[in-house]
Amino acid sequence: MSSWPWLQSGRIGDPQTPSLGSLAVSDFLRSYLTVAIFGAVALLLAGGILSLGRLIRPSHGNAEKLLTYESGVDPTGDMWSQSNIRYYVFALLFVMFDVEAVFLFPWATRLEAYGVFGLVEMGIFILILLLGLVYAWRKGMLRWV
Amino acid sequence: MIAQVLAQAFESPTIDYHALAPEIVLVSFAALLILLDVVLLEKGRTFISALAGIGLLATMLPILTLAIDGTDRVMFGGAYVVDDFSLVMKAMFVLSGYVVVLLSTNYIAEGDYWENEYYGLLLASLTGMVMISSARDLISIFVALELLSIPVYMMATWRKRDIRSNEAGLKYYLMGVFASAVMLYGMSMLYGTAGSTLLVDIGEAVGGEETTSIVTLAVIFTIIGFAFKVSAVPFHYWAPDTYEGAPTPVTAYLSVASKAAGFVALLQLVMVGFYARDDVYEPVLWILAAASMTVGNLLALRQENVVRMMAYSGVAQAGFMLAPLAVAGKIGDDAVVATVTYLLIYAAMNLGAFAVIIALARKTGSATLDSFNGAFHYAPGLTVVMTMFLFSLAGIPPFGGWFAKFAVLAALIDANTAAGVVLAVVAAVNSVIALYYYGGLARRMWAEEAPDGDLTPVRVPVSLVAALGLAAGLTLLFGVFPNLVSEVSDVSLISTLGG
Repeated sequence: MSSWPWLQSGRIGDPQTPSLGSLAVSDFLRSYLTVAIFGAVALLLAGGILSLGRLIRPSHGNAEKLLTYESGVDPTGDMWSQSNIRYYVFALLFVMFDVEAVFLFPWATRLEAYGVFGLVEMGIFILILLLGLVYAWRKGMLRWV
Repeated sequence: MIAQVLAQAFESPTIDYHALAPEIVLVSFAALLILLDVVLLEKGRTFISALAGIGLLATMLPILTLAIDGTDRVMFGGAYVVDDFSLVMKAMFVLSGYVVVLLSTNYIAEGDYWENEYYGLLLASLTGMVMISSARDLISIFVALELLSIPVYMMATWRKRDIRSNEAGLKYYLMGVFASAVMLYGMSMLYGTAGSTLLVDIGEAVGGEETTSIVTLAVIFTIIGFAFKVSAVPFHYWAPDTYEGAPTPVTAYLSVASKAAGFVALLQLVMVGFYARDDVYEPVLWILAAASMTVGNLLALRQENVVRMMAYSGVAQAGFMLAPLAVAGKIGDDAVVATVTYLLIYAAMNLGAFAVIIALARKTGSATLDSFNGAFHYAPGLTVVMTMFLFSLAGIPPFGGWFAKFAVLAALIDANTAAGVVLAVVAAVNSVIALYYYGGLARRMWAEEAPDGDLTPVRVPVSLVAALGLAAGLTLLFGVFPNLVSEVSDVSLISTLGG
């Protein structure tokens, strides 16, 4: 580690370490070396773990084992299965109410402290979100036909 | 901890309603559009685009009164600042939005599109842009950036029965989310270093004596996130596909307003947050600028589709706008002035070029370069203004573009460093390359024969004429009286450091 003092100190503009090993490196390059090392570590970490797993894991496949995993039951049907687009709309609506709740709870716990200011602000917030619900309702998104 | 929080008395923040008036007007109009859509459904189609236009013009009023008032207003402990810089950019966003409404009116009405939602989303996205001009805090910047991006993801897929439009939206969405993730990673490190999300505090924490590795990483990740947004090389590859597939008015909006919003955030981050760390941000911006100009122009030479050509030309223009930032440490606020000047002029001439593309496509129904052949014989007026926009984009006087290029080159030379001069040479060489393809398109329109000898004139609707007139007038005005632009773009970010 002693030949990498700039890594140990966590500072790369350290004037006492003007060289990297035997190579003379300018301040400019050394500051960007951090980025290169960071990128290399990211790649090595992902690549290394994946290839390590491949190297050390046993591989004795049989028909049962190679079956696609589907929550413990035998998979049925094609891998290309379509789900109803309406689920997507309901998921979106759920997110809308979810976000509303996230902001409403902290406000509700301190309702009195926030006073009229908080009430008006929250009113505007809920009104705008409500507009989204009215929109979905009016466009027939809430009907399950 | 919780008891402590609960014990604190809540002080409602002082809100300067005059300073927030542009945002309030825009949001109210966006909400009004959705409300009308909900009540009237399809009956609203006849006037909803006009109402969106009125909303944008109404937003200009508070911006003008704030500009006349002229005092810098700082809110929320410095997180939201209304100063000259933000007012100029707000005005630019709102006016570009107005031109985009004009461009969209017939395009969206005549296609098989949802119309009311389109304008609601456009106004929501513009609200994000108006907010980002004032945001001087990581959280405000990020919220504004998402607010301006998410509606555009949907607008890019507006031609929903066209597979290319679907591709455009999906690509833009995936790249946008990826860029946000990279940027957030950088921002998290900035917060870790400074212990505050305010850009002013980050400026103090980042600008110490030494460059620490965490600061280098933070600055570079944050800049790369915005490099995606402004489609700088090597983060540009989503742009041509998205521009080609999206409805052309949305492309115009993406290439002008959305790009400018990325620059606004980048300017604020670099000039307020990273300013003292010029040893870190200058090299990376230098490379981005030089690569964007060169690669953008060289790839534009080979395009057969005019929208793809404009996409690569936009990449190259983004390089020009980045260039002053690459020497910002030497010239300070002059870099902001040069970039803002370029943004204002670029908005006028690029929107104009897209207006002509939309107008001509009404007859040809195509966007290939061949379809522009012989346009002079059936649309002489459009050909003349298109030539003007193209020459302006190439930087030929007396059209606005020359002053934009002049401002950037002057800023680079002013820096008086080898890096600045080399970048100025790269920019100058690229201006010449760009002239080849801009001039090539103009030549097709004037000199070639129209395909199939079809000379029926183009019917240009009123709203497009208005958009063309506005863009052409401004392009010419900026070129002949450049002091108009320099007067407006004489803004500063560094002096508000104390704010």
